[in-house]
Amino acid sequence: MKFKTFAAFIGPSVFMMLLFIAFPLVSVFQQSFYITQPIYELVDVETCTPGFLTQTCVTETQSMPTLDEHGEIITQTEFVGLQSYRNVLELGRAWEALSAGSWTAFQSIDFWKALRFTLSFTLITLPLVICAGLGIAVMINNATKAVRGPVIFISLLPFIITPVIGALSINWLFRGDGILTAALEWYLQRDIAMFAQAWTIEILMMFYRVWHVAPFAAIVFYAGLQTVNQDSLESAIIDGASRWQRLKYIIIPHLMPLIVFISMIHLMDSYRVFEEIVGFSSQGHVISLQWLTYDFLVPDQAGNRSISRASASAMLTMIGIALLLVPLLRRTWRDHHGGH
Amino acid sequence: MKLKTLLAAGVVAMSSTAAFAGCAIENSVPLKSLSAGFEAWKAVTDAMGECGNFEASLDQEFREKQPEAFAADPSLYHIGGVANATMIPLLNAGSIRPLDDLVAKYGQNLTPNQLIKVDGKVMAVAMMVNAQHMMYRADILEDLGIAQPTTWGEVLAAAEKIKAAGVVEYPLGGTFKTGWNLGEEFVNMYLGEGGTFIGEGNMPTINNAQGVAALETMKAMTAYMDPEYLVSDSTYVQQQFQQGKIAMANLWASRAAAMDDEAESQVVGKVVMAAAPNGSAAPASSLWWDGIVFASNMSDEEADAAFQVAMEGIDSEMVSANNDAAVWLIKGYTPGKLATGAAATAANGALPYPASGPMGIMHTELGNGIADYLNGAKDAATTLADIEAAYMTAAKEAGLVQ
Amino acid sequence: MSARALQQPLPLRVTSNAFLALWCLIAAFPIFWIMVQSFKTPVDAYDSNALNVILGPETLARGHGMSVLQILLGLGAVWLTIRLASRTLPAFVRGSLEGGLQWFGWIIGSTVLGIGSVLALFGLVPWISEILNPFLGPLGTDVLGLTTEHYKTVWIERGFFRNFQNSLLITAGVVTISLSVGTLAGYGLARSGSKLAFWILIVALIFRALPHSVLVAGYLPVFINSSEWLAPILGENAPTLYGKPFAVIAVLVAINQPFTIWMLRSFFQNIPAELDEAARVDGCSHFQAFRRVIMPVMWPGVITTGLFSFLLAYNDFLVTSLLLDAQNQTMVPAIAGMFNRETTTTDQVVAVAAAVSITAPLFFLVMVFQRQIVSGLTAGAVKG
Repeated sequence: MKFKTFAAFIGPSVFMMLLFIAFPLVSVFQQSFYITQPIYELVDVETCTPGFLTQTCVTETQSMPTLDEHGEIITQTEFVGLQSYRNVLELGRAWEALSAGSWTAFQSIDFWKALRFTLSFTLITLPLVICAGLGIAVMINNATKAVRGPVIFISLLPFIITPVIGALSINWLFRGDGILTAALEWYLQRDIAMFAQAWTIEILMMFYRVWHVAPFAAIVFYAGLQTVNQDSLESAIIDGASRWQRLKYIIIPHLMPLIVFISMIHLMDSYRVFEEIVGFSSQGHVISLQWLTYDFLVPDQAGNRSISRASASAMLTMIGIALLLVPLLRRTWRDHHGGH
Repeated sequence: MKLKTLLAAGVVAMSSTAAFAGCAIENSVPLKSLSAGFEAWKAVTDAMGECGNFEASLDQEFREKQPEAFAADPSLYHIGGVANATMIPLLNAGSIRPLDDLVAKYGQNLTPNQLIKVDGKVMAVAMMVNAQHMMYRADILEDLGIAQPTTWGEVLAAAEKIKAAGVVEYPLGGTFKTGWNLGEEFVNMYLGEGGTFIGEGNMPTINNAQGVAALETMKAMTAYMDPEYLVSDSTYVQQQFQQGKIAMANLWASRAAAMDDEAESQVVGKVVMAAAPNGSAAPASSLWWDGIVFASNMSDEEADAAFQVAMEGIDSEMVSANNDAAVWLIKGYTPGKLATGAAATAANGALPYPASGPMGIMHTELGNGIADYLNGAKDAATTLADIEAAYMTAAKEAGLVQ
Repeated sequence: MSARALQQPLPLRVTSNAFLALWCLIAAFPIFWIMVQSFKTPVDAYDSNALNVILGPETLARGHGMSVLQILLGLGAVWLTIRLASRTLPAFVRGSLEGGLQWFGWIIGSTVLGIGSVLALFGLVPWISEILNPFLGPLGTDVLGLTTEHYKTVWIERGFFRNFQNSLLITAGVVTISLSVGTLAGYGLARSGSKLAFWILIVALIFRALPHSVLVAGYLPVFINSSEWLAPILGENAPTLYGKPFAVIAVLVAINQPFTIWMLRSFFQNIPAELDEAARVDGCSHFQAFRRVIMPVMWPGVITTGLFSFLLAYNDFLVTSLLLDAQNQTMVPAIAGMFNRETTTTDQVVAVAAAVSITAPLFFLVMVFQRQIVSGLTAGAVKG
């Protein structure tokens, strides 16, 4: 294919990605090295606010941003190098905590706390999703033809449901005296509070993620199972291979590209875990890297936002994803060069 | 001539009664508003909508959108709904206009108490106040012979008795959800201890005996609360009350009406509204107001129309139709027994929420940092020191501290 | 032959099916539960006793209930809908319509069926049972507390219909544009073995991994001030992009591109290159070959990819909540708004009803397209 034709085909898609993804990304990268802030001046301000019946007026010295002649806030932008990264990483405190051997102190630093949760969330749910997906696919494949349709339909539900609503629906089942907590309490004959400590919330979040993603894995694997080479299966049976051996030596290798595909998607999606934090309102106990970025980014009630730290933390998150993906990317590289 | 105009106006009014019922003027300038989405705003914007040509955005992301949208030229919205704290960024950026002449022209029905003045200029028109105050189950306290608690010491003692008697699942409720809610609880407690948040040069001043006392009271409360307190927001506490699971809570005045809602409450008539308990110095509560601001970046005709429509939105008719939706500051409001808590709290000398730019950062850091203390990961002094350090980082980045 | 050899021992089959049943329970239960809640009064919906939530004594006491007859009729209507959606409609569309017409068939068929089943469930069933109940004695008395008032509140009083329309508009826009742009790129990438193609794919993969909140927050100021910075190019009529559905469509298409082109590329790779070479020998240009020869055999892949685009656009919260204002808000942020503002318990149940409402079209979609998804994936997508 000539380059010109190639460019014509991919042009629109690449243009959209450049405009809406690459361009913002570059500006985020740049912002992580600069700090932009308004120039404040001290002004005495008298403010009168309503009480229940009468007003109270106070005069205070406040920092007000200076405005230019168009009424816009004057800002100054300063190159700060890696300062924002240092502010996010808090290496000094982290090192102090580690050399004192205190894991609790280390885990009270936001970035490391978020990294710990994000990594464990990603690495624990990954095998669970693959195994659950594979298991469900094999079981559907075992079932009689008549029930396969309805079963696939039900299996797909957790995947298609709007994530915000899926997380809430699981949240309600367990929160306070939600019916599943009540059932557990009745069964174990003791008081249970699922949202009172970090580990139970983490389990709930992981359960939700596996519940949400396993159906997708299952359906992809099920599709893969339909194309398993029947001849090699038969010859394996003739050779006396057990069911387990057939799964291990024929089916799984056949599904390997799909397993890699699912792993890749899952790594990317779970590394940026965010909806769970909001949906289960777990901020008091566990936070994730994307939540940290988001928290820097949203303005507080007085309109301050930490753009520079948000950019730095976003870049750090990206580096993490890139590192996780390296082994999978190398595989893609080999495939690409090995021809299709 | 005059008669003719009147007649013409009458015909127009007749022909459009359906659309403009309840609004004295007919608005011809297209107007838009952006505000938070709770019941009171819904009532007010519905009343504004009766004047025609008006679109309201009740948006939970309004805090994020408002500064940008009002700074655009022309402003994307004409009318904004703000509270003490959310007015700060608009005020700082000069994107809301002084209202003195408009108030003089169309504001006959406003009381002086409603006019929010900054440096003598009216910058916003308040419509309601809100504060956290004590709500308690009168039946339970009476049965156990407990008098209405007026200090946090008494509240904790009462909680102990209720726990010992085992009448309810948890004696206390609290809006301790990590983030803004938890920050607000500390702000109340710390004000009750007589503390100040920000000192000279915008330096933080919370790491002191008063801060520790505030934290210790909060921790003492958690012993009597649902162990899932870090996820409980106002709606959750309200439900706990309605289902009879808690006996006392320092809850928002705007939630009072829900206690007596027959459709969902099992404790109708049993919950009494009282003043917020005192800390060692003052009531452990802060007064908030919600009000209306107008964009700078719009034409004077638009401002005229917007102000008139807004006045229709906060008139006595709206109040009489929605009397219990909030503690209104508007003429025509009859404070019922649901408002007694807020009134008593203000009368006891509760301070207004100390809204300012640095306070915004402080509130966020408090909301994120206190959970570590309640979880037992840090002691009180370390928690406060870490919050101050986090405040310093953010304030330096914002340019508030050199 | 192999059928007997592959036959499984009974215990294995029993265990396998038992686990499958367990999985189905886990998969469906949370969704089933919010559906049940949405039909109850607040007191019942949040009761900690599961039986009370299902039977709804309080709801029944307030005079909202269903008789045995009505339950049976309702179940019948649901069964009929499922049957029609999963069997009759796909069979009809595939059997009697061809090529481009199939699209219309799918769309019109699903719409008619969707509206029909809503009418049957909420209109016909209550009407029939109201007439028949008095004659049936015990069968005709209300036994199950159930009320549709929250749905009425959502759809009629709260104007949820407008959010529904906005969602449809945005979803339709995203699916169409995303597929048109994506098929072109997917084809180009599949047929080019160049280094550039490889690097585009890798970069796309990294884009796929980006945390969205980072990108999205950067859009807000740019979108709000767009009339200022677009003015030099477009003059007086430069639009404010904030609050415009087409701007949100563009953003969602872009965010969705990496996944779309990867997926479509692997579909195209499974179509032998000989096919377009043959067409080229006959004198077609690359583009003609693409349109006349390749696209007709690509429909399964396009439909499968389209479904994923649909899910992304329909379920999106981050972009739509930030870049749209109340007048053209889609359903998901509207529901999140209902939950997050100061609410009464009744409001919460109303929001649950809204949540169930937005899930219904997804149900329906999967019913209709279920085979398409499986056969599409089987046809050889997702090779990694």
